[in-house]
Amino acid sequence: MYDQLHARAIIDALAAQVPLGHAPAEIFGSDDVYQHELRRIFARCWVFLAHESEIPRRNDFVRRKVGEDDFIVVRDRHGTVRVLLDACRHRGVAVCRADKGNTPQFRCPYHGWTYDTSGRLTGAPAWREALAGLPREEYGLLPAAQVGVCHGLIFATLDRTAPSLDEYLGGMSWYLDLVFGLNDAGVEVLAPPQRLVISANWKSGAENFAGDDYHLATLHRSVWEVGAYPVPFEDDMVGYHIQAAPGHSLSLSMDPDADEPGPYFYGMPDDLVASFSTALVTGEQLRFARYIRAFVGNVFPNFSVLAQPATEDVRAHPATGVITIRTWQPRGPGEMEVWCWFCAYRNMSAAQKRRSLTAGLGTSSFGGAFEMDDAEPWASTSRTGRSVAAQLLGLTYNYQMGSEGVGRARRVPGFPGPGVVFAPRYEEGVQRNFLRFYAELMRCPDGQWPVLPLG
Amino acid sequence: MDRTRFGTRMLPGSEAYAEVQEWLHREAELLDDREERAWLANMVSRDVVYQVPIRQTVRRADGDGFARDGFHLDESYGSLLVRVERNLSPSAWTEDPPPRTRRFVTNIRATAEGDDAFGVRSNLLIYRTRQDEAQPSLLAAERRDLLCRTGDALLLRRRLVLLDLTVLQVPNLGYFF
Repeated sequence: MYDQLHARAIIDALAAQVPLGHAPAEIFGSDDVYQHELRRIFARCWVFLAHESEIPRRNDFVRRKVGEDDFIVVRDRHGTVRVLLDACRHRGVAVCRADKGNTPQFRCPYHGWTYDTSGRLTGAPAWREALAGLPREEYGLLPAAQVGVCHGLIFATLDRTAPSLDEYLGGMSWYLDLVFGLNDAGVEVLAPPQRLVISANWKSGAENFAGDDYHLATLHRSVWEVGAYPVPFEDDMVGYHIQAAPGHSLSLSMDPDADEPGPYFYGMPDDLVASFSTALVTGEQLRFARYIRAFVGNVFPNFSVLAQPATEDVRAHPATGVITIRTWQPRGPGEMEVWCWFCAYRNMSAAQKRRSLTAGLGTSSFGGAFEMDDAEPWASTSRTGRSVAAQLLGLTYNYQMGSEGVGRARRVPGFPGPGVVFAPRYEEGVQRNFLRFYAELMRCPDGQWPVLPLG
Repeated sequence: MDRTRFGTRMLPGSEAYAEVQEWLHREAELLDDREERAWLANMVSRDVVYQVPIRQTVRRADGDGFARDGFHLDESYGSLLVRVERNLSPSAWTEDPPPRTRRFVTNIRATAEGDDAFGVRSNLLIYRTRQDEAQPSLLAAERRDLLCRTGDALLLRRRLVLLDLTVLQVPNLGYFF
């Protein structure tokens, strides 16, 4: 077990400090906080697992994570997506031994308990001699408490009392529509996920994608030097920081001005843009999306979305629209596993999809110009989170940018989308929104959900 | 990925094998010495296809798990040049102070592919440390290369890097394999 009182003390300090724009360093380093997160955050929130296009056929499966635990995400023989804990009901042995595949059944290698793709226990060796009388229907693989799908994105929660996925996403849905819902062909995943283990706390990835544009100027200066991103840095800071719903934040590079030179719609190809329609979004959403150059956001706790124009080689190819999605999987206070997928609209040509993937790999993957450097500071943030000196000397991390009296960001009234909106993008309310919800959820007893104002 | 073709392998000790072996050693030396620009200019063909496919754990019946259309790196000469240039920028934070790499190239197997080309397989182990790390990042792979003679030089025209790991424990993929 872990020291819940210690975790609670750190989180109480966080809750007190966030309104002032501070956070204790220890939330990025304490093992007690981390253990508390596994129970209070990852066991209760809706977490992203897979995209439906990864399991198109019946009995297709992929193995994914909720917190540190393996789950089988499988389309059963009726076509229903199931999310099942990968642990045999007999001795807890993993029954899924591959990252992906197609199978009518999962058979435990230890004693042979066998389950169908709906998770039902269908049999075991010598059933009559060994197990006659065992109520088979009570010993299926344990399913996640709730499964939900939004634009093909499969989420699950282990908490029966969690609000529905729609309710949980709240205002964030309006913005996710702008990336995934611009036509009724929808988006598909282009390739299996890249997976990297880095020495950093999962929250560093999440809060960065919640809208840390400020780091672009320093950490990612080299991106502009090599021409991988087409919008000049100062122009790119024009846009909005949006607290879409408690915990969920995003940032948009955009300038809704008739003379704005673009790129429009994240730099997507013209013939794709011609297919964009109001089939799944409102006319207002479609008009709004046109002006977005770049979208970066985080669905609490650890699912991030990035859509932007980019090129791996500007001398050979102009920037094109790239959509990438991420999870920041917890693996301890000082370690996370990054999962990175690239997506594209289904109705793009094979050549367009290939171009988008190559541009994405050269920019927004851990082998790309942007993200090559990200693990470097995140590892430091986590190390300082374990620092005795930081605790003794009272080091807190600063999140004051754009708050009252700090910087020039101002609240934007009359914004077309939901949430609380600030401009320009020199602003950290998006991260305060992440931390505020995080702190409340960490303190909120099981069976209850925090009700929080934005701002 | 034909694993059964052994017939035309060059014998270790032959002149052609020695040339290929020396080429691989020279390449590893340039990259370990961070002479990436010289490596690209002198050892890589302008039409190079350089790929590191994503690998997943799959059942034996489903093959070797390498994605056909999914990559960690999918590079052309132009994108390799961008990476080399970026690494020289003072803002390439992971490259300054530079990580230290040591490449171990073994199990070199080569076949003649016509008069002017060699198909080469080699095992590669990259031992990399940064800052005061005592534990290295280790990446092991089989490389499948096509080397073509252009004038006096052998140039890398095709490289497929087959990593052993499905989950990479490295801070980034700023590697030249």
